Amino acid sequence: MKIDDVAFFKLMQSEMNADPDRFRLLGDADTVFAIVMEDGRATFRVRIRFEELNCVEVGPGAPDTIVDFSLVGPLTAWQAMFDDVLANGRATGLQTINSLVLLGDEVRLTGDDPMGLDKFSRFNQTLQEYIDGAARAAVATT
Amino acid sequence: MTVVENRPEPRKANKDYSGLPEASPMGAPLDWAWLRGAKSEWGVRPKPSPRGLTMLDIAVGAYGEVPDHPQHRSMAPRGCDVEGDTPDMGYILNKKTDVWADNTRELYEEAVARQWSATRDIPWGDLQELDDDVEHAMCQLCTLLTEVEMIAADLPAKWMWRMNHDFIEAKMFLCTQIMDEARHAEVFRKRALSNGGGLLLSRSGPTSLLRTIIEAKTYTQATALMHLLGEGFVLDIFRMGELISPSDVEKRMFRMCMQDEARHVAYGTMHLRYAVENDPDVAEEIHEALDHGEMVLTEFGTAPDVSTALAVLLAGGVEHVEDKGFPLALEMTKKQFTSYLARCERAGVSRLERTQIPLDLLGIDIETIKRSAA
Ligand SMILES: [Fe+2]
Ligand SMILES: [Fe+2]
Repeated sequence: MKIDDVAFFKLMQSEMNADPDRFRLLGDADTVFAIVMEDGRATFRVRIRFEELNCVEVGPGAPDTIVDFSLVGPLTAWQAMFDDVLANGRATGLQTINSLVLLGDEVRLTGDDPMGLDKFSRFNQTLQEYIDGAARAAVATT
Repeated sequence: MTVVENRPEPRKANKDYSGLPEASPMGAPLDWAWLRGAKSEWGVRPKPSPRGLTMLDIAVGAYGEVPDHPQHRSMAPRGCDVEGDTPDMGYILNKKTDVWADNTRELYEEAVARQWSATRDIPWGDLQELDDDVEHAMCQLCTLLTEVEMIAADLPAKWMWRMNHDFIEAKMFLCTQIMDEARHAEVFRKRALSNGGGLLLSRSGPTSLLRTIIEAKTYTQATALMHLLGEGFVLDIFRMGELISPSDVEKRMFRMCMQDEARHVAYGTMHLRYAVENDPDVAEEIHEALDHGEMVLTEFGTAPDVSTALAVLLAGGVEHVEDKGFPLALEMTKKQFTSYLARCERAGVSRLERTQIPLDLLGIDIETIKRSAA
């Protein structure tokens, strides 16, 4: 499945909303963020909103859309991350979103609001579970 | 400036309470003022949000107004009808700028919603026997973390009873921080003991950092040293969790701690920002604390036992400590200082022109920090 497609992120949304118990341990998360994939010619941007234990919004995000933080990187880096998630059932090694941002070689954390940027760390595990949902969604759709 | 004295008139009683007894059956005088009409916002009904009734939901009307300069020094709840001559509890932090941050209510609710258990939520049963050097390094790091975590509980505890009670939300948030730090001390102590290693060396190095924090002269200086500097560095160590963890058990431990720690840093950053925005003179006070704090923290961070344990974990063992461990550790140190300096920018206390941290030596690019904070 193409990862630079809103439909892909909607699958993860369904996965998250179908399994609140998985997210209950981590607790409520309230944030809106963007994932931005750059591939030279075009930029794909998706806006995702979490409220409490649910993912309540996934949609195309205009560049000026207001978010707490954005995760920006080349499509190839995102592809490598999702390939790892799909291959292992969840992100492993340095392919977790936290590690990718920490290393900062390719995926960058950006935003203008200090309180918004903090949310990347504050809700990091909820975000990781959401991303890992790609593997569960893939299993469900095959 | 908030005006809490703009309270509504006492409500009109819709029942007649005039005939109530003036004395108890034992002859003691009775007071019915609370029933006959205290000066209150009777009829205010905060609406619960979908998750329940949050602190943000009940910050309505006068109840939501936090005065810049509270009139009382008692523990009377903010928003109630307070008697004129209440006792003085000895508060010394009586200005909103002393303790407030715009995100305190939000952070309190978040902390309550995202508590976890070091007993139940870490897969302790999955621990595997590790190579001797890696187990030693993890135990040494956990010894150090167990030692330093509780300063972030002791420090708020030292100041909380000095905070005016009108700033209740800030105190409530700090209570959650104290609980978080107890859990952090718990989880690192448990990790040190749980895989056959145990607690290793404690040197005098960390003590000078901890004393600097606990002995800060003002709360705002203490916050700068602890929330911004100390916890910011610890947050970055937790963020490194995936790089230094030999197994999923440690990864889970660091990730869960990271989320808590980010709340503490978020409060500190926003408190300093609030303080500086509303009282620019306070900036110099913060800078003075950080001038000294950065020096002590650098000594702490480069202490030989800390740096060697981290390097061994980053290298996955002593074999590659020189070609992989130390270079990666240096890279991580650079990232720690970079994110600290960016945080200072966000807090409104730019350190770029003042810091004694050897930015050139570490290869830290000031322009990148300015851009990321802009
Ligand atoms: Fe902590
Ligand atoms: Fe902390």
